[in-house]
Amino acid sequence: MKITIPHFGNTHIAAKVLFEGLGIDYVIPPLSSYRALEAGDIISPDEICLPFKIMLGNVLQGIEAGADTVILPGSCGPCRFGEYGELQIQILEKRGYDIDFIVLEKPSEIGVQELLNRISHISSASKKNKGMKIKALLDAYYILKEIDNIESKCRYLSGYEKNNGDFKRILYHFQLETMELKRPVDILNCIKKYNRSIADIAIDSNKNPIKISIIGEIYTVTEAFSNYYLENKLMDYGVSVKRSLSPSWWVKNMLLTPIKLNSIKINRAAKEYIPLGIGGHAVECIGEALITSKIGFDGAIQVFPLGCMPEIVSKAVLKQISEDKELPVLNLVVDGLSSEAGIITRLEAFIDMLERRKKCIL
Amino acid sequence: MRLGIPKGLLYYKYHDFGEVFFSELGAEIVTSENTCRKTLDMGALNCVDEACLPIKVFHGHIGLLQEKCDYVLVPRFMSIYKHEYICPKFCGLPEMIKSSYKNLKIIDTGPIYADSSESLYKWCREAARPFTKDENKIQYAYAQGMKAYKQNKTVVHKSDSKLRVALIGHPYNIYDNYLNMNIVLKLQKLGFGVITEDDIGEEITNRFSNELFKRPFWTFARRNYGTAVYLATNKQVDGIIYISSFACGIDSVVIELIKNRLNDFPVMVLKLDEQTGEAGFNTRLEAFGDMMKRS
Repeated sequence: MKITIPHFGNTHIAAKVLFEGLGIDYVIPPLSSYRALEAGDIISPDEICLPFKIMLGNVLQGIEAGADTVILPGSCGPCRFGEYGELQIQILEKRGYDIDFIVLEKPSEIGVQELLNRISHISSASKKNKGMKIKALLDAYYILKEIDNIESKCRYLSGYEKNNGDFKRILYHFQLETMELKRPVDILNCIKKYNRSIADIAIDSNKNPIKISIIGEIYTVTEAFSNYYLENKLMDYGVSVKRSLSPSWWVKNMLLTPIKLNSIKINRAAKEYIPLGIGGHAVECIGEALITSKIGFDGAIQVFPLGCMPEIVSKAVLKQISEDKELPVLNLVVDGLSSEAGIITRLEAFIDMLERRKKCIL
Repeated sequence: MRLGIPKGLLYYKYHDFGEVFFSELGAEIVTSENTCRKTLDMGALNCVDEACLPIKVFHGHIGLLQEKCDYVLVPRFMSIYKHEYICPKFCGLPEMIKSSYKNLKIIDTGPIYADSSESLYKWCREAARPFTKDENKIQYAYAQGMKAYKQNKTVVHKSDSKLRVALIGHPYNIYDNYLNMNIVLKLQKLGFGVITEDDIGEEITNRFSNELFKRPFWTFARRNYGTAVYLATNKQVDGIIYISSFACGIDSVVIELIKNRLNDFPVMVLKLDEQTGEAGFNTRLEAFGDMMKRS
């Protein structure tokens, strides 16, 4: 058995740690790119959302590299993400691939036994004992959290740096280095090293940079390729960026949902505008926007794939929040088209507008 | 008090219940006009650009209604079967409407779980609040509403013709004759009997949708998939026409599942959007009809 997973932000590093720890054969597909998108696009239904196409492309590239088993997370709606497993299985089957899919769903929908069966399918391939399996799992989660942490630190502090581009450079090197490393210990050491070098970067705390919060659909905000490397671009403009939705948040949220302790702050903030969960991460999007305006950020950028059902609702609500709280919001709808120039123009215009608002009261 | 009921989305499926229930409570019911050009324009103007056509049309109905009544009904359908949904946009419909029409008075926007009569009654009690607090009256109205709903539920289409076609899609696309440009009539004129999802029992559709690796969690996806596969594999129809609105997230999945399952069976997908070019629509219908007649 050789396992592969589609990309989702930094999860591939944590997955690597997990599989190394379990002693399971695996292959990480190349990072998302136009090649992955194209490969997925050709065999996807036309109107399916962008994450599906990129993820299918990742899976195909993983299979090319020798994988025969795919792990996919699932959900039970009402957003389309819950049907990804079903569709990908059918599409690959039709094209003659003989691939095992392990779809990890909530136990409330498929039953605890079925979930355990599916997990045991993975863990039975590992020869490690129970203690080591649990350690591998905890290591993976810890590393995921730390990596997300470093990333968000760099993105936020880049607005305050003395020498332009310091944080971007360090983040880039960090990502390159963790890609190469395999053993959990090495990755942990690497995280420590970079934490130290981040602390060494010269910071000008008198600066008052523009602060933007990135909200929207979780895949398109975390997977840098799908949003045209939006956050890197903002770093170039000297903007401080905050983003709460990340793979580690997702894991934590999923674990805490059954006992209703997930993202209490966000849910409470969102209640005024959207009283019920409507699927996807619409509530988080609204909650984030409200928190953003409360803590004095200058604006928010909502990113979502074309046709995303929950985010269409949140876009409508954001329009109202934008008026009520005087929070500028830029809606970026991504659909995998390669015209980056249009995005850059809109971003620049948005930032110019925020700068002006900051300087002039009238 | 005048209560406005917009003729959009699930109106065609549940209007009997709604109209009887609220008029029994003493409300004067005002329904919007049938969908027309004006509704479409009003909706496109007041709705989020990315939304699908039925949602825009619903916005249009509300826009045209708001002058004529004191309150409007914007139902928040969460689910009509256990563990199933309709669409995320249905769950957030009142929010979308509120952000477009600021001064609109909407009667209770609590979630509707119509998967059991208790939870449906719970919503009814909340919704009845502006009209009456008399529990007996609400109970009576509820019973009357249910009666009306059950009486008018069966929509069996005439299908005595030898050639038959399955018209699959969300109910708001199938029953709104302006949106679908009178497709049922057109098909009948071409000599086809029309069968829809409403003519097929729950048990049959479940049998086929349970074949899937994972049962779809959208009610109409499950129904449409089951209906299409049942009718096609049992040779009950000569072809399938799937009528879908542009950028419908649910249809993007279901159409693929149906096509994968049925391989070479004739399936035509008709996309609806704000453009109302009827000629192209007719040409495609005629061509598909000819093809079915020949095969």
